[in-house]
Amino acid sequence: MTFHPATLALHVSSILITFMILYSTYYGIRILRRWDIESGSELQLALERRTYLISTLLAYTFGLQLFSLFLFIFTADTLHTLFVGAMCAAGSLFVNGYGYPALILKIITFLLAGLWLILNYADNKGYNYPLIKKKYFFLIIMTPFILAEMVLQWNYFLRLRPDVITSCCGSLFSTGSGTMTSEIVSLPTLPMMVLFYFAFAFTIASGIYFYLKNRRRRPEPHYSRQAKRWDSGAGRLCRKFVHGSTSSPRTDDDPLEINYSAVRPEPVEGQTAIYDTVSGRGGYLFAFLSAAAFLVSILSILSFISLYYYELPTHHCPFCILQKEYGYIGYPLYLSLLAGTVSGMGVGILMPFRKIESLSEGIPSLQKRLALVSSILFALFAFLVTWRMVFSDFIL
Amino acid sequence: MIELINVRKVFNQGRPNEFVAVNGVSLDLNSHRVVILKGPSGSGKTTLLSMIGCMARPTSGRIKLMEREVTSLPERFLTEIRQKTFGFIFQNFNLIKGITVLENVMLPAYPSGESQSSLKRRAMNLLDLFELSKKAFSKAEWLSGGEAQRTAIARALINNPSIIIADEPTGNLDSVLSGQFMEIVRKLKADRKTVLIASHDPLVYESDVVERVIHVRDGKIVPM
Repeated sequence: MTFHPATLALHVSSILITFMILYSTYYGIRILRRWDIESGSELQLALERRTYLISTLLAYTFGLQLFSLFLFIFTADTLHTLFVGAMCAAGSLFVNGYGYPALILKIITFLLAGLWLILNYADNKGYNYPLIKKKYFFLIIMTPFILAEMVLQWNYFLRLRPDVITSCCGSLFSTGSGTMTSEIVSLPTLPMMVLFYFAFAFTIASGIYFYLKNRRRRPEPHYSRQAKRWDSGAGRLCRKFVHGSTSSPRTDDDPLEINYSAVRPEPVEGQTAIYDTVSGRGGYLFAFLSAAAFLVSILSILSFISLYYYELPTHHCPFCILQKEYGYIGYPLYLSLLAGTVSGMGVGILMPFRKIESLSEGIPSLQKRLALVSSILFALFAFLVTWRMVFSDFIL
Repeated sequence: MIELINVRKVFNQGRPNEFVAVNGVSLDLNSHRVVILKGPSGSGKTTLLSMIGCMARPTSGRIKLMEREVTSLPERFLTEIRQKTFGFIFQNFNLIKGITVLENVMLPAYPSGESQSSLKRRAMNLLDLFELSKKAFSKAEWLSGGEAQRTAIARALINNPSIIIADEPTGNLDSVLSGQFMEIVRKLKADRKTVLIASHDPLVYESDVVERVIHVRDGKIVPM
């Protein structure tokens, strides 16, 4: 078990992630204490160079963190054949007291890592590191979660004993056993269905509302008609930075009629950001509904969704749908749900920063994309569930 | 206006071969001027120019370009500024061998996404200006010294930059070609460009087109 390839991969990845997190946290603390963008000191410039490297490495690290959740579940499911009584990951995780806590922490760190990646992406849109302190503060908050997850994961795998007879989903997710999961699966089905569809309808509607209400509007041009909009985020920044171009290299046929005013930062009176910064209407609501939809979905999977996949009124397991005999449908279900939740919550986490000057264009654009992606993913989840419910031979 | 505030550049910091190339330089450079950084080899001229041109970052200090600070900018923003604001002329010209003169001139403008036909037209206009039209499709390694120099200048101008940076542009040229180069600088000045030249060639820093000479020695500005 310890030397199972997936187990080894999880151990190695957790070591790498932990090392990177600790290394980054050290510099994060230095940044929180010593960062001063106005200063030209050697330390400040060194921190500026260092943060560029660290944020790049962390982006890959947290990408690995996201993947490790599914690898962990896959590994637990793969190992179930080694334990008496286990028929899926539910039984494997119940072999010792570290399995389920590790899983819960992994879900939490998945969400946190996703939100950090969104924050980091937004920070990289700004030319003056506008979110750097918040980003590293968030990282410091995440660090104990990731460390705890690593400890629990290691303990789980190292304390797996094949002589333990474990309980599996048949008893763990059955009614009447007095556990919390038992209470969940005992919830009345019809109200849960109504709650599920209302939650998703409101969430998707909220996402579409946010997307439509935050569409780009073009300001009145205050500069020469010859000035060009550059497509890249850096180009837009540079256009703002070097505002006042009177000619464009793309159309100027006289090469010596030079854009020598290219770096003049002409103030443009009255020009607002391309996105209406007063708006952002519905951002917080959408983020809240995304989180709520996630919780409702988990409850719904336990309550009634799983029944339609197993076509068995007593089979509430959230893990068996990850297996081959059910077409591995659990993976697209959970992936769309988790990714949709992260994207939706990401809209909310960026709301306080919409009015930062260097992010006044980048953040609304990013939030729009996140809202759209989240809505699509939630819709996909709902579609997969509904498709199964409609075309299943099972009648509840 | 280009402003340097207590800029310092140290190579191999903390190692036995630590070298301070620029040591606490503060400088204000006005726009639309021809400025010479004059000094012996190893005085820090090239390092200063590379930092002004956003090709290197100082160890400490700040550099401002038109009142906006550039040293803290992440690299992805600096590449855009380098492309749009600066034109570079190197001592050895650094033309790409194996491709034509026209392609060498067009090269810095490729990242802009401009259409090939438009870019080609502008490049040919530049080559016309420097009497290199007939050499447009010649390979760069076939050029004479003067032709290579003019090709390098044309390449530096392809993105319509406002600031031209030239590092020892006459280092490999004879007196006649050096004089021709300074005439080109005169024309650039007439077009209201800012020209920064690092040179220890008297033909350059004693030219009447030069408006300011900054003496650099041992990484510091020497008041004259």
